[in-house]
Amino acid sequence: MIDIRVLIVDDEEELAATIAERLELRGIKAQTASDGDAALSVLKTDPPHVVVLDLMMPGMGGLEMLKQIKSLKLNIPVIMLTGYGSKEQSIEGMNLGAFDYVIKPCNLDDLIAKIHEAVKNK
Amino acid sequence: MKEKEVEFIGKITAGVTHEVNNVLASIREISGLLTDILSITGEDSFPRKEKFQTSLQKIQNQVQRGVKLTGQLNKFSHLSDNDKSDVDLNEIIEHLIFLTERFARIKNITLQIQPSSKSVTINTNPFLLQMALFNCIAYLLNHLSNGSEISLCPGKDGSKYSVNIICKGEVIDKTSFFKNPSTSEELLSLNGIMKSLNGVYELDETTPGIKIALIVNG
Repeated sequence: MIDIRVLIVDDEEELAATIAERLELRGIKAQTASDGDAALSVLKTDPPHVVVLDLMMPGMGGLEMLKQIKSLKLNIPVIMLTGYGSKEQSIEGMNLGAFDYVIKPCNLDDLIAKIHEAVKNK
Repeated sequence: MKEKEVEFIGKITAGVTHEVNNVLASIREISGLLTDILSITGEDSFPRKEKFQTSLQKIQNQVQRGVKLTGQLNKFSHLSDNDKSDVDLNEIIEHLIFLTERFARIKNITLQIQPSSKSVTINTNPFLLQMALFNCIAYLLNHLSNGSEISLCPGKDGSKYSVNIICKGEVIDKTSFFKNPSTSEELLSLNGIMKSLNGVYELDETTPGIKIALIVNG
């Protein structure tokens, strides 16, 4: 069994850091990035197994970020974090090739299940 | 209210609910992390562990309550996004009841839906429809006595869509309630809203209790 590594991309730094810490307690290695540029730099240097991506981010938005990830052709599944009124964006994200999405505030067990599923399907 | 003003309020409310949701998400994760840490801490090494655990659960419950409230408020803020859209009458009434339940509770009046067994969908202005229903509820809350019941019953008859609002309970001022409701100041805005919705409202005192019928042409 591989050690799963996840990158959480969310401008809500405290939220991302806490989710990362909770994942770590469950044996999933997690690092965070607070914007698209920081995330891309991690993806290029130390690609994770799964990306958890917030759709509502300032600057490079989640969908733009998703396109960039796909263009890198790294075959990294992306789980989107969506908020209220992001139904259309979630559908667009799925059409762009996202693996799945979870609604904020997410249930950690659901997120972990999706992470495992994403790694399995990779 | 003018279109631009409604749009402005809708946008600001939608933006703020997003932010509040992020705050709630953070509180949920932070309290979740504390719960995780407590669960791997030995019984003897953490005094009053159980008290902490139950308190953290209470925080989680309140977060859940907050998430539901902000979710419904966000939904409300998007009502003004389109001049017209397909509206499920059962859904819009349930949504309104959730948002207005507090006003009824303060007056000790029960607010409920008697949903239509089939889905009734009307293409109309959802914001104005909510406002019309709210006006009726507010009018009734002002005139009904303690312990009354208000039931909202959606339906459809041909091309006419209706919401019958049936009340059980005493009207405090029955004469003024039915005397001339169309000129009553409280119902002035309802007259204008119903006109915009291409509909009418009727007050019926012949049925047991009181009935207000909102009829909108589809």
